[in-house]
Amino acid sequence: MTLAKQAAQGSTDAGATVYKYDPPSLYVTDAFYDWLVDVSLDLDASKFRGEVVSADIQGEIEQLLAAEARLLDQKAFSTWLDLYHDECAYWIPSEWPAPDPRKTVTLEFHDLRRLLDRAARLETGLAYSQYPASRTSRVLSGVEIWASEGRSDEWRVRCNFALSEFRNGFNRVLAGWNGFVIRRTDDGLRVVLKQINLIDCDRPQGNNSFFL
Amino acid sequence: MSTVTNLTREDSEFDRLVQDDRVHRSVYVEPEIFAREMDNIFAGTWVYLLHESELPNVGDYRQAWIGTREVFVTRGEDREINVLSNRCSHRGAVICREFRGNATSFTCPYHGWRYDARGTLFGIPGKNAYGPTFKSRGMNLARPAQVAIYKGLVFATLNPNAVTIVEHLGNAASFIDQWLDHQGGWENLVVSGAQRFKVNCNWKMVYDNAGDGYHVPFSHQSLLVMTKERYGGGDMTYFADADRSNMPLHALDNGHSIVDQRPEMYATSAWDQQRPQPGREPFEAHVTQTVGANEAKAVLESAVGAGMNLCIFPNLLFIGNQIQVLQPVRVDQTYVLFNATRRRDGDEQLNAIRLRTQEDFPILGEMDDADNFEECQRGLTFNPEDEWVDISRHFETDKDIDGEDGIVTAPVTSELHMRNYYAQWKRLMKAHPILRVSKEKEAR
Repeated sequence: MTLAKQAAQGSTDAGATVYKYDPPSLYVTDAFYDWLVDVSLDLDASKFRGEVVSADIQGEIEQLLAAEARLLDQKAFSTWLDLYHDECAYWIPSEWPAPDPRKTVTLEFHDLRRLLDRAARLETGLAYSQYPASRTSRVLSGVEIWASEGRSDEWRVRCNFALSEFRNGFNRVLAGWNGFVIRRTDDGLRVVLKQINLIDCDRPQGNNSFFL
Repeated sequence: MSTVTNLTREDSEFDRLVQDDRVHRSVYVEPEIFAREMDNIFAGTWVYLLHESELPNVGDYRQAWIGTREVFVTRGEDREINVLSNRCSHRGAVICREFRGNATSFTCPYHGWRYDARGTLFGIPGKNAYGPTFKSRGMNLARPAQVAIYKGLVFATLNPNAVTIVEHLGNAASFIDQWLDHQGGWENLVVSGAQRFKVNCNWKMVYDNAGDGYHVPFSHQSLLVMTKERYGGGDMTYFADADRSNMPLHALDNGHSIVDQRPEMYATSAWDQQRPQPGREPFEAHVTQTVGANEAKAVLESAVGAGMNLCIFPNLLFIGNQIQVLQPVRVDQTYVLFNATRRRDGDEQLNAIRLRTQEDFPILGEMDDADNFEECQRGLTFNPEDEWVDISRHFETDKDIDGEDGIVTAPVTSELHMRNYYAQWKRLMKAHPILRVSKEKEAR
């Protein structure tokens, strides 16, 4: 378990700063936004990447992505969030291509704390937009993986997704592409960024109250 | 769809459908009534289109809607705002096909007719094929009868006899001013993208809810429970026993209303009540560092919502720091556009935290309301013999207080909000407004 998640469960070390809202969001600073904007451009660059990561890394990352999608289909939010880095972002832009989230509102932009809020809300069983709950099935394809420039512990990933949803008697499909930043930590690979680019992000959306 | 109501276009029918304390289900489900609303209400009175800051530069344009009528709004070379029907004068093709952009002229993709930013037709390929009768006709893009701008808010109506925008806003104007003051004044406001939702319900269900101080502890129970369990309470907990709170509901002129949350939300600190946003702690440190501890509170409060649910009938809602717009699509479908705002005088950190705050409620709260609206639509549609929608909360408790300037104050869970706007709805639906556009060259 990561430190931030321990903190969220009230098991902070004695003497550590106590924050009113745990885990604190210390990392969402101007520098973090600058980094996100830079990553976003890289994820959406129109170029052929010749370099190939090792088959081991490729396999490890693909397995992480498959688990990340499956755990959401299973609504296993706690296990799902264990795949996320303490200093993560979950970002659904409202325009195509994604603008700077400091200048344009997003459909969703969460740090770890708000992901925990959002999951806790769904788990109350009183979130009526998920009563009955959606059943989802995600397909990822066209996975491209490349190393973050100048780093040996971090990779960037782009892939397409098709998310089928069944809820309350109706089926629909959401489509688009995901951008990920995956970093190796002492606990294993973790998701630092999940960017969800819906092909219709700038047109009215339906009930997306589950996680995309 | 209903076997009960056989709607005629007799004006008196509306007296039966909209009574003092209940309204007939057909006003939410009948396509014929929806069609009449698009004429009598959305075209027959003032509707909000967009904010001037969405067209900052000469040549900027954006699509907009007068109910289901499609228009586009441009900023001309003289920097004036133009509202133009999105339909070529030739065969009717939609002219402006992008949601927004910048252009010096608009060319119909079908036969190449060209219009300038004021909608004036200035180019017809093979013009010598047309004769004097054609040339005597107004062939510019159609413009609605009236356009008015109130402090950056652009309104239009097709009704040449509609009262002025100031008369239409009436005693709601001072609350709009207060909302704008929270943004540092009207020229300080910058619309900064939108969250757009498609809800399968009648547009009035969204309007009903915007002035509803009753639903919060029920529809938003998950949010209140989560906020209490994780943080010991905060935002909106004061709605738990709302009628004992200090929050009033005010019924205003012409169907407008406000649920004023400020007495509770700002009682101590709205910033402290706000659920934590991404970047909250670094932002607090930044504010203390830049303006000092004494001034910090004012800056932090400017980052969170204005504490109003201010409803301007029929399609404009000021909620939090967002300008929400209702766009009816069909009798049972509505687009709800949450236009986010930043402040020109705010630094990048302030505006980032403002946007993160404005993203809180749509995903954590609005989704549950929207689902309830859809379930209301379903209930009303499929059970036609059960005819009435009840709007009688606090109708018989004698709690309404007539105040200055025609403002009526009621307990915050009162359905006076609905009774008030339905009176205006009925007045408009009974009327026979002239709806007019002009295709003549605009005189300036």
